[in-house]
Amino acid sequence: MSDDSLHNTEHERTTTETDKEDSSRAVAVKDLWLTYADGTEAVQGLSLAIERGEFFGFLGPNGAGKTTTIKILATLLEPTRGSVTVNGFDVAKERTAVRGSIGYMPQETSVDEELTARENLRFACGAYGVPRGDRDDRIAELLELIDLADVADTPAAQFSGGMKKRLDAATALVHDPQLVFLDEPTTGLDPKARNRLWDYFQRINDAGTTIFLTTQYLEEADALCDRLSVIRDGSIVADGSPKELKRRVGGETLKLEIESGSDVVDRACKISRQSDLFEADATVETTGETVRITTRRAREQGSKLLVKLQESDITVTGFDIEETTLDDVFLAIADESVAELEGGHA
Amino acid sequence: MSTPEAGTRSGNSLVSDTLVNFTRWNRKLLRNPTSFLLEIVVAVFSLLLFSAVFGEVGAFALQQAGYVGIDYITFLLPAVLMQATMGSSFNSGIGLVKDLDSGMFEKTVVTPMSATAVFSGKAVSELLRIVVQLVIILGLATVLGASIDLGISGALGIIAVCLLVGLLFMSIANIVGLLARDEEALNAASMLFMFPLLFLSPAFIPLSSDIELLATFNPVTYGVDAIRALIVGEDVMTVLTVTRFGGLLNTLVPAVGILLAMNFVFGSLAVWLLGRASSTEGQ
Repeated sequence: MSDDSLHNTEHERTTTETDKEDSSRAVAVKDLWLTYADGTEAVQGLSLAIERGEFFGFLGPNGAGKTTTIKILATLLEPTRGSVTVNGFDVAKERTAVRGSIGYMPQETSVDEELTARENLRFACGAYGVPRGDRDDRIAELLELIDLADVADTPAAQFSGGMKKRLDAATALVHDPQLVFLDEPTTGLDPKARNRLWDYFQRINDAGTTIFLTTQYLEEADALCDRLSVIRDGSIVADGSPKELKRRVGGETLKLEIESGSDVVDRACKISRQSDLFEADATVETTGETVRITTRRAREQGSKLLVKLQESDITVTGFDIEETTLDDVFLAIADESVAELEGGHA
Repeated sequence: MSTPEAGTRSGNSLVSDTLVNFTRWNRKLLRNPTSFLLEIVVAVFSLLLFSAVFGEVGAFALQQAGYVGIDYITFLLPAVLMQATMGSSFNSGIGLVKDLDSGMFEKTVVTPMSATAVFSGKAVSELLRIVVQLVIILGLATVLGASIDLGISGALGIIAVCLLVGLLFMSIANIVGLLARDEEALNAASMLFMFPLLFLSPAFIPLSSDIELLATFNPVTYGVDAIRALIVGEDVMTVLTVTRFGGLLNTLVPAVGILLAMNFVFGSLAVWLLGRASSTEGQ
């Protein structure tokens, strides 16, 4: 090797330091823009980094740009601007390599209804170049996993929606992809079918597969995801674990039912406000005989508050702690209290 | 489950990918052979019906046009072969529209298979479907009294010509399918293409001079003439006069040349539209 080429290699090494980091990531998106032919700016300056092995949730209201983003990552749409690598491959320049390393389960169920479950899987094995000798075992294993082994030779047209979804998911996984994109995989399923799919996704994630999930069901994201990003109007507005996001929105709500007249309720309210039990930005509201205190310290301080109220001869008839759900996070984001969320993050 | 890093892919090649798609479409045909069988029934039924209804008129017309020693049923054979081929070709578009509808199109695009393999696997399966239909129809037509002077080599030539016409209408069906994206529309379009084109050709009776100009631009004319030349072993070209090749080649060479040219034009358009659909399906 000549000195020149050595020199060049070293030069590249220093300039591509960040690229190297990205190449070890499952997904690395930097300043991604996508403008449709009709001028709609579906994605506006989006950046994302997903580590290998993560169970990543991508949330956002309808039309926020979730599906557009997932289609870019899955090589179905070309970005207008920005750099996108998936499993270390550039989605624009190394399409085939990206395609071979991912599984993609689109929003609409996509199975060939004229073919049986087994034939659908066999086609997928061929399409993803699974070695011939491994195909039968792989298909049997997947049929078992999705509970379709007993109807393996029935045409998919006769399957229920849930069965088709499970088959669809399995066809995206025949090649043990390093990364799977699941675009609203449980929409329209009954709770039982949904739980089964959840269990299945959890198992592949435990086995090391990175999962990129979009969903409208916040309990789904809460139950499955290690980390969430919330997208609105084509860019990320919040990012963190489900727990962090919930904490940022405002912790828990302490709910007290107070016996008898409104003056007692007012007094209870006053005590709750004046005591040093809760942080300064905790809020106290009353509706009828109920006092609601939104605080991050509901669990630690709840019983102390009860003692204080008892000392003032106020009888508490009901006591409950309501946790913040992702719905609250979602509503807060829809409510444009974004600055606050991002502030918390920084 | 093995670890994802292990990499269980053996890779894809053009041949293996084509085979994977070829197998898929063959399976689908075997699972649902109704239209395949109906197309054969319709062709044979047409042969019987037309020769019963038009038999005497046809024989008279043949005599007037100078065809000697040909039964009307033999004269009619190219018509039903073209009809079956065109009808069968439109299934190519219907398969495409169904795949676009069901999401299988997108799902196939997102695999590492090359688009060429995906579409050629499908096309080869559809051409095979046409060949099987033609063999059955030719067999039944022979039983019913049609005769092919050139025997087996003539029959092989006939099938080759039909495949050229089939490929052309497969391209047209895919173009219409991609533009309309609707199965009903495609079915209507197939009728719209099939009957006018058959009647604006020398398929049923010798070509009248009134429609000669239209027939010149009709691919079915060249299919019918080429097949008829292979059946009777003579130059029967209706719209063009070519003399430099001698005998039935005076029909065969220009007819095949024109069909190839039309295939090139419509095939390129279909491939371009399919390529565009594959890369922008997400929109």
